[in-house]
Amino acid sequence: MGAESGGVAVSIRDLTKQYPGAPTPAVRNLSLDVAAGEVVALVGPSGCGKTTTLKMINRLIEPTSGTIQVLGRDQAELPVHELRRAIGYVIQQIGLFPHRTVAANVGVVPGLLGWPKARIAERVAELLALVGLPADAGSRYPSELSGGQQQRVGVARALAADPPILLMDEPYSAVDPLVRARLQDDLLALQAQVGKTIVIVTHDIDEAIKLGDRVAILAEGGVLAQYDTPDELLRAPADEFVAAFLGRERSLRRLGLRRVGEVRSEPAATVAVRATTAEALGAAEGMGARWVLVIDGDAEPVGLVAVADLRHHSRSGAAGRTVGEGLEPDRRPPVVDSTWPLREVLDAVLRSGSGGALVDDASPARCVITLDALAEALR
Amino acid sequence: MSVLGQVALVGDVWRYLTATSSWGGDRGLGALVRAHLWISLVSTVAAVGLAVPPAVWLAHRRRLPLLSVALVNVGRAVPSFAIVAFVFPLSIRYGFGLGFWPTCVALVALGVPPIFTNTYAGVAGVAPDVVEAARGVGMTDRQVLAGVELPLALPLILTGLRLSAVQITATATLGAFVGYECLGTPILQGLARGVAGRPQLVGGALLVIAAALATDAVIGRIIPRVVRWPSGLR
Repeated sequence: MGAESGGVAVSIRDLTKQYPGAPTPAVRNLSLDVAAGEVVALVGPSGCGKTTTLKMINRLIEPTSGTIQVLGRDQAELPVHELRRAIGYVIQQIGLFPHRTVAANVGVVPGLLGWPKARIAERVAELLALVGLPADAGSRYPSELSGGQQQRVGVARALAADPPILLMDEPYSAVDPLVRARLQDDLLALQAQVGKTIVIVTHDIDEAIKLGDRVAILAEGGVLAQYDTPDELLRAPADEFVAAFLGRERSLRRLGLRRVGEVRSEPAATVAVRATTAEALGAAEGMGARWVLVIDGDAEPVGLVAVADLRHHSRSGAAGRTVGEGLEPDRRPPVVDSTWPLREVLDAVLRSGSGGALVDDASPARCVITLDALAEALR
Repeated sequence: MSVLGQVALVGDVWRYLTATSSWGGDRGLGALVRAHLWISLVSTVAAVGLAVPPAVWLAHRRRLPLLSVALVNVGRAVPSFAIVAFVFPLSIRYGFGLGFWPTCVALVALGVPPIFTNTYAGVAGVAPDVVEAARGVGMTDRQVLAGVELPLALPLILTGLRLSAVQITATATLGAFVGYECLGTPILQGLARGVAGRPQLVGGALLVIAAALATDAVIGRIIPRVVRWPSGLR
């Protein structure tokens, strides 16, 4: 994405917010860079100052001290309403204007910027399509839409004037989990098209890991505990607090981040169920494979056998037995493709009890991912 | 009064209200209805002008929230007749004459509290997330007020206006006591004439009721034409 090309989009330096009357600052000496085109998730327990930080970027909250540069300019130099028109803003409660139609809601920033009416109408239609709303939604009022649709309108409104930066404050915490998952997927798909710099606040570590190219974990009192890629966070949490916040299933979550296509699968020798152990060993050794995929008469995979096991059988005098006889029933290896997250592969492998999964890709050689390979991916 | 007497009264009131002679002329019912509606209209417009701007500004700044509650209570407690009686000598002394202005002052005082309170509640009651979103998309302070807070407060403001207008129309009757010829006049004259004046008294009262109900109905018709979004207001 644009991380390499565009440089730093938001640069936060020594940012502190002390609310009058509060014993401790809400945000303390925070420094953070967000690269252009990157999605950064601010996550932490309540009271960690993540929303305060976000709102200081578009100056809905004024910092006590410190600076924020937006696209290389000190944001305090701009008139505040101009700054905000250049930054998309999506909030949890959505905050659509109930007295204006969906089209008028989406077109509000272009309207403030003085775009001609025809261009606004064109842009609104484009955005409704982009966020997956029917074209006739434009003439309805927000209260006539479902919660998920309203959230889409909120995103469309934020994107209307094509701002380079998008701020999202717990955008999906008010919708039910199914809708939330779909909206998150939609955001990722949308981001692949629009390539914005997005800062998203969430209290949900799974959401942060799913959406963020990088995740900033804030501890209570607005102290930055760790700022890293999700994989690196999960691999090496900086301290006890981060580890506790990430939870006990760190390895599983890491597997969730990676896909089959990103790890090394290994070729397996393919033999029929009627082949003898000696024949199977020969085929495997001929191509240097560590695994043998057993297929039935319809070329369907029915089992996965380690070459080491075959050698063991061979030495113990069962070289003439067919591989089919050695297989336990109902241990068909699952077939996965390169888009599967490794976490789902692991789940399928464990359910099948086969010790590995067959990767269904275009290559003529049959390749497998084994439990060893999954463990290796976590190193 | 006997049942027969009541039946007779209904007939007499009917004859009074339908006689051409009752309605014609400078001091007939037609002129009185017009004068009654005129002072009600002027007073309502003045009440809106006096109540809405300060209420909007105070609510926008979220200042003096208790004032709006206090004002409506005081407004309910002060008798309009006392205001008329109080303003009457002042109006004469300062050359505003009798009749119209003392009545108008009392009616405006009656009309301000509901409009003020509803306007304040309407503006202050706009959902905070909507206001935050408005600021977040880059509206200036004035744009937030004019483009978001005021339109969203409009249903409540109009409800307050409706309440005030109906009360003002019913209370404008008082004008007759200080020489403003309106629908209070036949009531007062009827009262002075004793039993013989009863048809006039009851007829005048019925016309006041009709004027107030008509005011309510007309404003009720106008509101949905002004508030077109689904506000929960019928």
